[in-house]
Amino acid sequence: MATLHLNALGKTYPGGVTAASEVSVEISDGEFVVLVGPSGCGKSTILRMIAGLETITEGELSIDGARVNDREPGERDIAMVFQNYALYPHMSVRKNMEYGLKNEGLPKAQIAARIAEAARTLRLEEYLDRKPRQLSGGQRQRVAMGRAIVRQPKVFLFDEPLSNLDAKLRTQLRAELKALHRRLGATFVYVTHDQVEAMSLADRIVIMNAGRVEQIGTPMDLYLRPASRFVAEFIGSPSMNMLEGRIGADRASVTFGQASALSLGFDLPGPAGHPIALGVRPEHLHLAPGGAGGIDLAVQFIEQLGADTVVHGAVPGAAGPLAVRLAGVQRYEAGAVLSLACSAENLHLFDAETGVRLAADAV
Amino acid sequence: MVENRPILNILTHAVLILGVLFLCFPVWMALVASTHGAEALSRAPIPLWFGGQGWDNYTQLLSAGLPAAGGVPIGMMMMNSLIMALVITFGKIAISIISAYAIVYFRFPFRMGFFWMIFLTLMLPVEVRILPTFDVVTRLGMLNTYAGLTIPLIASATATFLFRQFFLTIPDELVEAARIDRAGPVRFFIDILLPMSRTNIAALFIILFIYGWNQYLWPLLVTTEEGLYTVVMGIQRMVNSGEALPVWHFVMGTAILGMIPPVVVVVAMQKLFVKGLVESEK
Amino acid sequence: MQKRVIFRSRSLPYLLVLPQIAVTLVFFFWPSYQALESSFFIEDAFGFSREWVGLRNYRDLFADPGYLRSFRTTLVFGLSVTALALGTSLGLAVAANRVLRAAQSYRTLLIWPYAVAPALAGVIWYFLMNPSMGIVAYWLKGLGVEWNHYVNGNQALILVVVAAAWKQISYNFLFFLAGLQSIPKSLIEAAAIDRAGPIRRFWTITMPLLSPTTFFLLVVNLVYAFFDTFALIHATTNGGPADATSVLVFRVYNTGFIGQDYGSSAAQSVVLMALVIGMTFIQFRYVERKVTY
Repeated sequence: MATLHLNALGKTYPGGVTAASEVSVEISDGEFVVLVGPSGCGKSTILRMIAGLETITEGELSIDGARVNDREPGERDIAMVFQNYALYPHMSVRKNMEYGLKNEGLPKAQIAARIAEAARTLRLEEYLDRKPRQLSGGQRQRVAMGRAIVRQPKVFLFDEPLSNLDAKLRTQLRAELKALHRRLGATFVYVTHDQVEAMSLADRIVIMNAGRVEQIGTPMDLYLRPASRFVAEFIGSPSMNMLEGRIGADRASVTFGQASALSLGFDLPGPAGHPIALGVRPEHLHLAPGGAGGIDLAVQFIEQLGADTVVHGAVPGAAGPLAVRLAGVQRYEAGAVLSLACSAENLHLFDAETGVRLAADAV
Repeated sequence: MVENRPILNILTHAVLILGVLFLCFPVWMALVASTHGAEALSRAPIPLWFGGQGWDNYTQLLSAGLPAAGGVPIGMMMMNSLIMALVITFGKIAISIISAYAIVYFRFPFRMGFFWMIFLTLMLPVEVRILPTFDVVTRLGMLNTYAGLTIPLIASATATFLFRQFFLTIPDELVEAARIDRAGPVRFFIDILLPMSRTNIAALFIILFIYGWNQYLWPLLVTTEEGLYTVVMGIQRMVNSGEALPVWHFVMGTAILGMIPPVVVVVAMQKLFVKGLVESEK
Repeated sequence: MQKRVIFRSRSLPYLLVLPQIAVTLVFFFWPSYQALESSFFIEDAFGFSREWVGLRNYRDLFADPGYLRSFRTTLVFGLSVTALALGTSLGLAVAANRVLRAAQSYRTLLIWPYAVAPALAGVIWYFLMNPSMGIVAYWLKGLGVEWNHYVNGNQALILVVVAAAWKQISYNFLFFLAGLQSIPKSLIEAAAIDRAGPIRRFWTITMPLLSPTTFFLLVVNLVYAFFDTFALIHATTNGGPADATSVLVFRVYNTGFIGQDYGSSAAQSVVLMALVIGMTFIQFRYVERKVTY
């Protein structure tokens, strides 16, 4: 059980490429923290620096208050689960799990007890004497988790552990992982590019972009109050609609192009004419009763998902497409015009140039 | 094949059978000749079927050898061949796998320099530097020793490349997992890399065993004592033994004995052999 | 070209490469350097003194008609062995690729000569073609060919060519078969739908797709014929009659060990090294994609 302290961690390669910089996160004991972001954002680099597989070029890393920057991976009391499982192909499941404990010099009886317990937890008892190649993908991933569990480490690290599995198995293992975390009560650091995985697993999410932290918060923080346009568009599916426009002359409306304007009913920070992006999630738009709404949508096509319907279309006068998620089965022909409305608290305003959230308090 | 034409099928088998005959016939004749006496082989046409002296010929060859060619028992020559082949094979595998390990898994000054040095040995076969190499071995006092017979041949660019190629296909995560499991470089090599290389080692073993067993020029240079003769090299003394005409039934018997071990290895481990050959050369 | 993850150790990697590098230095680089060096000297027969002569050894070498003839012999020998071994094995591989079920048994029957030492292959063919009682010589006589490689230089050359090619067929066969099996069946089927008959398919689809293998084998066979056949020649014709089978590698040996002319032998070694280096480069240029550093 451990706390983890990332203090302005950074990684610059000898060639001068910076993979991550100024990453500071406090992870408390027993917390499930997910690092999420697009590929190349530096999330894996951070995880590998925690593991000790990548040297830390800037900043400081402590586990339980002790600085571990220069410790070998084997001496940091961590365990890691890899995307491609990284099971030793020539060893049986049992040998795979034993290997680290043997190297640690643990007594045989203790090793056997730990393996028995992990095998029971992960339902691997009948596979203990098989080789990894005789197992399915899901079973291999459970063995990889078993190899981590038996070490009883202070911190568990996961590097996209579910990415190589099919969708159904992924959902199932996600639930198992969550249950495992609850049972072990250990500190988990988990890397993924999949925002759904991040939302469903994390106590807190660290969302990264281009080597930097964009926002740290609970899943609902990120969903309801994204700190930047990047976070707003990354979290949620289908992704948040963004309408680019300018602050109107009355500073309480947004103008799109020449003609149309949208009155917001509250004051906007910043001078008239300043370029902004207005964000609204597809699920937060609804049909305006009586057809008198704020936004008109010209329907282009619809996606029937059964439980709900996603309508894709364009707002006349505004650049860019817009999607709406409506409950139940809906049918619209292409070309139909819908009037949509949205409550003010579900509107997100971002500075179009910096991407920073505007006037969080005003909304 | 795409279509079935009876004429083509017959032709195909005819070609293959002719090929098999062409390859097998010389050895068949050698086998037949080794079971006859000197008179049967003294004038044409020689018999195409076995004679009755096989047992006598082979027992004499294995235990006593040929008086006209120094009287070295072929059994002893074969033992020398076996020692030479095995030392060369294991030596090559051992020094190649560790140098490939160093080159792939470590970063150190002159790494690429060493790599190129090993690569350059491909361009310096013993046949083209006979005399000076002989000179070096003489100066080191290694003439007429097993060390002189084997050590100069155990550098292997081919084996090093094969292992390097194989190591590069092993996922990085495996090393990372091992490091998290507290395995250092030596332990990783012994516990993980070596067992994973088993198939490659076995395939290389076959290729290198044949290479070692079939050495000719090197033993010819390094050994002048008959007690160190190898069978592949020793046969030459029987063919060109002074004025006397070659005793063909003994020569052919020796040829058969000299080819049995490598041929058995190839046929028995055909699958591995093909894998080793195609992968080590391409 | 290298692992992302590496181990850190100051001395271990050097210890690991040490044996290989030591052998390489002592038995490859030092002798090669010596060959280069002594090719610029003339040494007296007893080794008491030597004299710097610059390029004279090389000039003498290329002025020596015997050496030039040896060059020609090597070329004829190498090309004949390559043509014979490649042609035969390609035919066999194409045939084996057609018979799907029996291919495995044929392969077993065709690959074992790879394991036969060149010296032994030479001795056996030497026996088969022996003018007085060899069975093949006897058959040839029946066809009206008077065979005697002890006196007829061309016949001696044919003998070593056949023996050398005989041994090499297995090797080529394996590579051709592997190459043929890697050609997608769908391509052949598409060609058949395009109304190409078996022979046309072979020349327009199979051969072009097989050309990398063919080129690779071409180089390997030439290298084999030039350098690995010393044993075969030494154990049989011994270069004769009248130098008719004295190829370059055989000549290096003969000049140095029998003739005791160290300077000339060293110069010949250097020429051969240049030849190997050239051929290795050609080969590696082709396999570049396989061997990327």
